[in-house]
Amino acid sequence: MKRSRVPALLTLGVIAFLFAPLVVLVVNSFNASRFGGEWDGFTWGWYEKLWEADEVWESLGVTLKIALSASLASMLLGTLAACALHGFRSWLQGVHSMLVTLPLVMPDILMGMSLLALFVVTGVETGLATIWIAHVTFCLSFVTMVVLGRLQDFDFTLLDAARDLGATRAQAVRKILLPLLLPGVLAGGLLAFTLSVDDYVITFFVSGPGTTTLPLRVASMMRTSRSLPVINALSTLLIAGTFLIAALSFRLQRRA
Amino acid sequence: MRGARHRSGEWLITLPSLAWLGVFFVIPAALVVVTAFRPADLHGGVAAGWTLENIETLRDPAWLPILWRTLWLSAATTVVCVALALPVAFQMARVGPRLRQFLLLLVVVPFLSNFLIRIFAWKSLLHPEGVLTKVLVSLHLAPEDALLLNNAGAVLLVMIYTQLPFAILPLYAAAEKFDFHLLDAARDLGAGPCRAFMKVFVPGVRRGILSAVVMVFVCSLGQYVIPQFVGGASDEMLGNKIQQRVFADRNLPQASALAAALMAAVLLPMLVVAAWQRFGRKEGAA
Amino acid sequence: MDDFLVIDRVSKSFGALRAVDGVSLSIRQGEAFSLLGPSGCGKTTLLRMLAGFETPDSGRILLGGKDVTGLLPEQRPVNTVFQNYALFPHLNVWENVAFGLRMSRRPREEIRSGVDRMLELVRLSEHARKRPAQLSGGQRQRVAIARALVNRPQVLLLDEPLAALDLKLRQHMLVELNAIHEQVGTTFIYVTHDQGEAMSLSDRIAVMNEGRVEQVDEPEALYETPRSGFVATFIGDANFFTGMPVELKHDGYLRVQVEGLGSPLVHGSGFVSSHEPVRIMIRPEKISLTLERPQSGERVNAFRGVVEDSVYFGSHARYHVRAGEHLVIAQLQRSRFSGGGIEPARGAVVWMSFHPDEGRVVRLEGAA
Repeated sequence: MKRSRVPALLTLGVIAFLFAPLVVLVVNSFNASRFGGEWDGFTWGWYEKLWEADEVWESLGVTLKIALSASLASMLLGTLAACALHGFRSWLQGVHSMLVTLPLVMPDILMGMSLLALFVVTGVETGLATIWIAHVTFCLSFVTMVVLGRLQDFDFTLLDAARDLGATRAQAVRKILLPLLLPGVLAGGLLAFTLSVDDYVITFFVSGPGTTTLPLRVASMMRTSRSLPVINALSTLLIAGTFLIAALSFRLQRRA
Repeated sequence: MRGARHRSGEWLITLPSLAWLGVFFVIPAALVVVTAFRPADLHGGVAAGWTLENIETLRDPAWLPILWRTLWLSAATTVVCVALALPVAFQMARVGPRLRQFLLLLVVVPFLSNFLIRIFAWKSLLHPEGVLTKVLVSLHLAPEDALLLNNAGAVLLVMIYTQLPFAILPLYAAAEKFDFHLLDAARDLGAGPCRAFMKVFVPGVRRGILSAVVMVFVCSLGQYVIPQFVGGASDEMLGNKIQQRVFADRNLPQASALAAALMAAVLLPMLVVAAWQRFGRKEGAA
Repeated sequence: MDDFLVIDRVSKSFGALRAVDGVSLSIRQGEAFSLLGPSGCGKTTLLRMLAGFETPDSGRILLGGKDVTGLLPEQRPVNTVFQNYALFPHLNVWENVAFGLRMSRRPREEIRSGVDRMLELVRLSEHARKRPAQLSGGQRQRVAIARALVNRPQVLLLDEPLAALDLKLRQHMLVELNAIHEQVGTTFIYVTHDQGEAMSLSDRIAVMNEGRVEQVDEPEALYETPRSGFVATFIGDANFFTGMPVELKHDGYLRVQVEGLGSPLVHGSGFVSSHEPVRIMIRPEKISLTLERPQSGERVNAFRGVVEDSVYFGSHARYHVRAGEHLVIAQLQRSRFSGGGIEPARGAVVWMSFHPDEGRVVRLEGAA
């Protein structure tokens, strides 16, 4: 029986649709033309301008600081949450599971808005700490889901086998469960990292003076059209970074 | 062995995430609802006392066009995304494991690459001096002074673009579990490829369709950044109004009233789906 | 010696289900012993209690005279070969085998020599650096055995050791397991649902059904003298007839009146009371088919029937023969040299006969 070509062609079309804007953006980052409507010759100029844009690198520092600390915290919380959700069946886990999944479908604006309400009402000054809290909150659910998927594939007779061979319960967890779970935890952490670096909406609501993350910086650059091609250059670098992290995460999840 | 673990152990590993989400997710959401009934103070904060004023302003008929626009943009985005994602998920689930991984990576990378960058990419494509405008004009498909930017079409296009991976990923997860022999069986029984797809594959992945619909629709309802950057003044959605109330008007209670309304609009379809699934399960068990 | 591993009235329930119901067994040192039964008969629960993964609700388990009932798995001198082998995927073969010795903090030199020797025993020395995922099914199985045996357990438990292997490999591993058992001399306890596996692996077999032990015996005795209908049908095929005992002879034979078959003479062992009906069992291959009535002394039971159906199996053929209300199954070897080799057609009238020693009295309850 011959398979229809239609789904394959549609898939190609969708992938082209997904990538075309990004490709144009990358090409235009080397285009001397200001608006990128036509090719005005190759240039490194926008990258040089980007290199000199101190405020961008400052924002990158802020973003990395938050992304690293938020993904570490959410890895810890998310792994514990996944273990609890996988290991027990009780009303508590019913509530727990609902709480973990709701942030996944909550629109960003509501999450940002409600966290802002919390900080305003409690009188907490918005800044690095509040951004970090917000990022841990939305990363937590994603990490939990990734680790949970890993746990569902985990063969728990391996722990029985370890006990049978003389390992205590703690040793079995340390020597068998943790090493086998680690790639999943790292993949969850990488996802959290990219989500944190990427987030604009929630960060926008809970940021304060002096805490301009990279997406906030990009947004303000987008409003001042003077620096548009510089955004192309910055975007190209960010896309490359995303690609690397995604590929790394895929490798981690495929192993074992 | 599982039964031998103590309840204290369960609490010990559940508490960190439960407490975190309680303090930073449940309480803030409740706070938004509470704040909607509070008067505003002059410094952008929340004053003491209670009022129904914020809720009453929601009954202003001026909100209707915005509400309507929010709904139809979200609905249109959902329909187009799911329609495009179905054949993609179908194709991804059919190819060999290596190609499948690669395709998955291709779908995930735009999904993970910065949201603002994706909007910016479209903004420069649709710009009057941008590639797309130039190409369309040179092909005489658009008038010389065509404005692709700052209209509802641009908003819809970019919303579809950003939400598409949200539709593909759950549908792919469902399609991966689909037994493709069923399609061969349908073909064997005389169905054409299109009928087999519609009558066997689509019902087979209905759970995936459901989560894709909820995912895309709910995320679209709260959208405000896309109208802000590629839409015009008359393309604003509910989210834009919330954002303006918070940052331009500095009226948190007003914003909270809007956010509470949005929250209701988000929770409603999810509750319906949850109820439907529970009811469906019971029916299936009987 | 005879009571090396003693299972003393052990019971275990899961909710309303009595998985193991008052099981008592005693297993000799160095024995190859099988727990045989259909799935859900309690054999796996019993094995998990021996390993320490489950605690009995009541009863005791004694090993070498010591009560081990309350000991955790890691504290027992018992090791397990798991059904899916449960090899640690992130460790290579050598590290898998070394795991137990490392847990008990043996000196480095002892671990090295112990693991190397064990890998030699299971002929995997050249695969020591491979990960489990790179091995074949049979190799994985041998790693699992080596990983358990290297700890010198007093008892080795093997949970469905051959279930995951294909037929050819299974036959090869049967020989291999027997060889390993002979070489190390450890007590092996197999859990299996496959009667053939149990018969060829074990010195003795305990047949379990619904949480209880039906019969403990050597393989041949189980086949030849099953004590219950369940054992008779679980190990091989059987014809059953119910009748009234009429005469217990001095030489130990029992005459039983069976409706439609006359009153055949059967082996009298297992006969208890002359006032209740008894069930007799005859294996299909013990019944001969002839066209003429066999030249009988009193010692041959013969009765007439009509062939209803025959099924050809290559090495043998089966006949379904109607005799009154009974449908008797008889099995004939397909050999040119077998004396009374006949191939009766459907509808043919034949004589069935069997020697009284082949007819056995089995318990009436637990009927199959």
